[in-house]
Amino acid sequence: MSRVLRLLSILLLAGAGAARAQQPALARALDLERQGNFAAAAEAFRSVLAVHAGDPAALLGLERALVPLNRTGELLAPARAAIAAGAPPAVGYAVLIRVWSAIGPADSLRGAVDRWAALAPGDEAPYREWVGASIGRGDRAAAQAAIAVARRRLGRADALAPEAAQTAVADGSWTLGTTEWLAAIRQMSGFRFAALAMLSPAPERVRPDILRQLEQDGAGEGRRLAGTLVARWGDPVGGFRLIASSLPAENGDAIERLNQFLEALQLSPAAAATAARQARGMALEAIAVRTSAGAATRARMLAAQAYADAGDTESARRMLDGAGPGREDGAPASAVGTAVSVLLGEGRADEAERRLQAARATLPPEEYAVLARRVAWGWARRGELARARSLLAADSTVEGLAVAGRVALLGGDIRGATERLRAAGPYTGTREEAAARAALLALLQRIEADSAPAIGAAFLALEKGDSAAAVTAFVGAADKLPPEKGGAELRLLAGRIELARGRFPDAERLFKAADLEQAPATAPAAELELGRLLVSLGRRDEAVATLEHMILTYSTSALVPQARRALDEARGAVPRT
Amino acid sequence: MKRRDFVRAAAGAAALAPLGRFARLAGTGAAAWLLVPMDDAQSDHLKAYGLAYRALERGVRVEWLINYRGGSFLLPAESAAARDAALNGISTESPDDGRVTRIRGEIQQGNMDAVPLEKAPKVAVYAPPNAAPWDDAVTMALDYAGVKYDKVWDPEVMGGKLSTFDWLHLHHEDFTGQYSKFVLNYAGAPWLAEMIQRNTATARQLGFANVPAEKRAVAQRISAFVERGGFLFAMCTATETLDLALASEGVDIAAAYADGTPMDPDAAAKMHWDRALAFQHAQLELSPTTPSYSDIDGHQVNAPDRRQPLGSFTLFGFSAKIDPVASMLVQNHRQVIPDFYGLTTSFTRHTLKPAVTVLADEPGAPWTKYIHGEHGQGTWTFFGGHDPEDPQHQIGDAPTDLSLHPHSPGYRLILNNVLFPAAKKKELKT
Repeated sequence: MSRVLRLLSILLLAGAGAARAQQPALARALDLERQGNFAAAAEAFRSVLAVHAGDPAALLGLERALVPLNRTGELLAPARAAIAAGAPPAVGYAVLIRVWSAIGPADSLRGAVDRWAALAPGDEAPYREWVGASIGRGDRAAAQAAIAVARRRLGRADALAPEAAQTAVADGSWTLGTTEWLAAIRQMSGFRFAALAMLSPAPERVRPDILRQLEQDGAGEGRRLAGTLVARWGDPVGGFRLIASSLPAENGDAIERLNQFLEALQLSPAAAATAARQARGMALEAIAVRTSAGAATRARMLAAQAYADAGDTESARRMLDGAGPGREDGAPASAVGTAVSVLLGEGRADEAERRLQAARATLPPEEYAVLARRVAWGWARRGELARARSLLAADSTVEGLAVAGRVALLGGDIRGATERLRAAGPYTGTREEAAARAALLALLQRIEADSAPAIGAAFLALEKGDSAAAVTAFVGAADKLPPEKGGAELRLLAGRIELARGRFPDAERLFKAADLEQAPATAPAAELELGRLLVSLGRRDEAVATLEHMILTYSTSALVPQARRALDEARGAVPRT
Repeated sequence: MKRRDFVRAAAGAAALAPLGRFARLAGTGAAAWLLVPMDDAQSDHLKAYGLAYRALERGVRVEWLINYRGGSFLLPAESAAARDAALNGISTESPDDGRVTRIRGEIQQGNMDAVPLEKAPKVAVYAPPNAAPWDDAVTMALDYAGVKYDKVWDPEVMGGKLSTFDWLHLHHEDFTGQYSKFVLNYAGAPWLAEMIQRNTATARQLGFANVPAEKRAVAQRISAFVERGGFLFAMCTATETLDLALASEGVDIAAAYADGTPMDPDAAAKMHWDRALAFQHAQLELSPTTPSYSDIDGHQVNAPDRRQPLGSFTLFGFSAKIDPVASMLVQNHRQVIPDFYGLTTSFTRHTLKPAVTVLADEPGAPWTKYIHGEHGQGTWTFFGGHDPEDPQHQIGDAPTDLSLHPHSPGYRLILNNVLFPAAKKKELKT
């Protein structure tokens, strides 16, 4: 081996040895930092820099340790040494700029930017660091001045567009911020999400200006952004129309944009609102048009469900007809479920059952049973109880018993309903279904008769959506029962229906009629309902008196905590929820 | 009202009189007392203060059992109190005379005391007529506990209305007249525009050239209220800015956007700290864009380079019989409480005047959290931070629902301050 080669190998080995020696020191410093011991971490990072002045990890670690200790100024010397030792400018100069920005003076800060810019002509990074440090100090005027310098020197009017957008928006210059965000998105599409987040909180008065500006953008990006913003601002259908008007011709790109709009809708606080569901249906329909075969069928079924949820039965039916009545064969269970739901929503139990039977061979047995129960309930709501019973005859599951119990109730079979609902147990179905079942059982157990067709008729009227007839029927049935044997409970139920209908005087009368000493199991609930109603009507003194009476009279009732909450609201002791 | 003429002799006397005037039902065999425990047996600590307050309103004398089961209340068994407890879900016990005698014996032997409360204080909250976009912990605590209060603002303060109250609360007000230094960061926000318009109009209406001058005059009236015997309780940035306003007579500490002229760069050296209640020798923040006023606040929540993380603060223990005022102010069922930010979160030790009593601090940290002192014939208490149950409350956040925090130890400290002025006055032993 020549002398030169030997020398080289010695130097390389020495270098590797030094690097290995540094590793534990750096790890120790990072550990101290993780433990929150910033003073010790700072010393540990310093010891690494003492050997390797240009070590980027140690310099950045030192910065993280010194800033929380309010010792930013101590970074000056290590940052300068790191630059001299050849640290990457994106580390050495960046730290130096942040230090000068924190401790001043401004001409030193400017000098650091200039030196870095001279090393990397045409690069935005030095200016971005300068702007970022100014924004961090809350000095937007300095940030804007730095952006102006960068644009002049780089010769690009759209340089540092994201930073310019942020400062403009923070200044309340929403239209300027919009222009800058469009420029930023043109440079990198990923800025779309940041733009959405920053422009969404725009005050109502400036929104038309923002939209006007976005719609003027010829590239289509502006309309896309406008569409999502309009949807977030409470007009999802209008938002979809803007998106649709800017869709690219290529199907793949168009579907991607539509899917992103659907995601934005899903994340919107008003995702469950009718208009959002309608917009979802429209977007899914637009996807169906651009896809083929199975995917299109699935999109149509989902669109049908969304339209149905929005109450747009005509569009829902159009989607189902487009999918074709024979398409259930081979369609996913969710698609068949959608069709069944839409048809049941329209009261078309016969068509729903026909489609269900057509798809039976391809559906897993559990899926079939779920849909069969829904169809059975659809028959029951139409009053065709025999058809419902026939569909449920072979269903011995607890879910089946729950539905069978409700069907029995609609027929006035109090005993049969009670037995089946009790057998279904407290955990079957969703939490809401279980709670409703428990409430029904509580009511039925107070009625001693095995059969009460009038009560069944009242529940059937309610299921058919004829709440006025239901109230009349419940009150009529209550008149024939002693208060403690279900009479008071039926009046309470009738009062709740009147409350939901907005017929407050009738609700108040019925709650008072249900509040009887002879029915101590019903009276606290009636008083609580009455108290809440009075709070909502602004009759606070009466509400307070009612709720106080309830709490003091029925102090062991499980409803007392709810009554205390309502009392707090009546008194203004807690924020209204 | 001379509130400084307060304190402990009466408390000692009550402890030594096992039954005294309160034993109205003694000898009947029925429970003669209602004990409101304030330890972990209590189901709603915050509402329990309201129960005591309402009993005082009815003319019932209540005893505050300092350091006994978290600072419990003892009052004669009366149907109104029992009804109040049932309605509000407040835990109570019904000790007979024998048990009360044992309790008094226990109090006499330990670091405890029984302080008689005799009059429901008249409470005022300093707040602008419109709703600010942030919540006010004290107003929420008073509403939740059911303690009555009136709202006052600059016209009422300048019109002398403070003299009709015993207790005054200040929350997020910026008495330097710089709108919490939000002007640049929240430019364009409708609430800020309304705040500036309302304050400017009020300053003009009251005959001042600008808002900083008018707020300084308001601060001086508040200081005079304390000097004449009033009780002052301030939180968040009202603490720091009240003292800065008081100390800055003749010194321009306001940015140009507030009074038309930039802040005096030598303002810190010209401050008259002898006029301040709690602080001295603070370094002032010169930048108009940094939402910070001085180094009084240790946490500097809105200054990214200086912001300090939240820890926990610990309540000090005091001798109940020798130092009943401080003891009352720290009654709690928890001694270590999670910290919470405010525009002024804490008070650095090096800026405290020597006579200030520290009620709570973060051990090992250079700041304190909860401080108290006297001024003339009255007292002031400063509590750093904005909302004890919303440690990072942001502008526009929904107000805290205290029914979800009925055991809040931080809110208890606020309510200690409300009841403290109800304590029986006695000449101070010197």
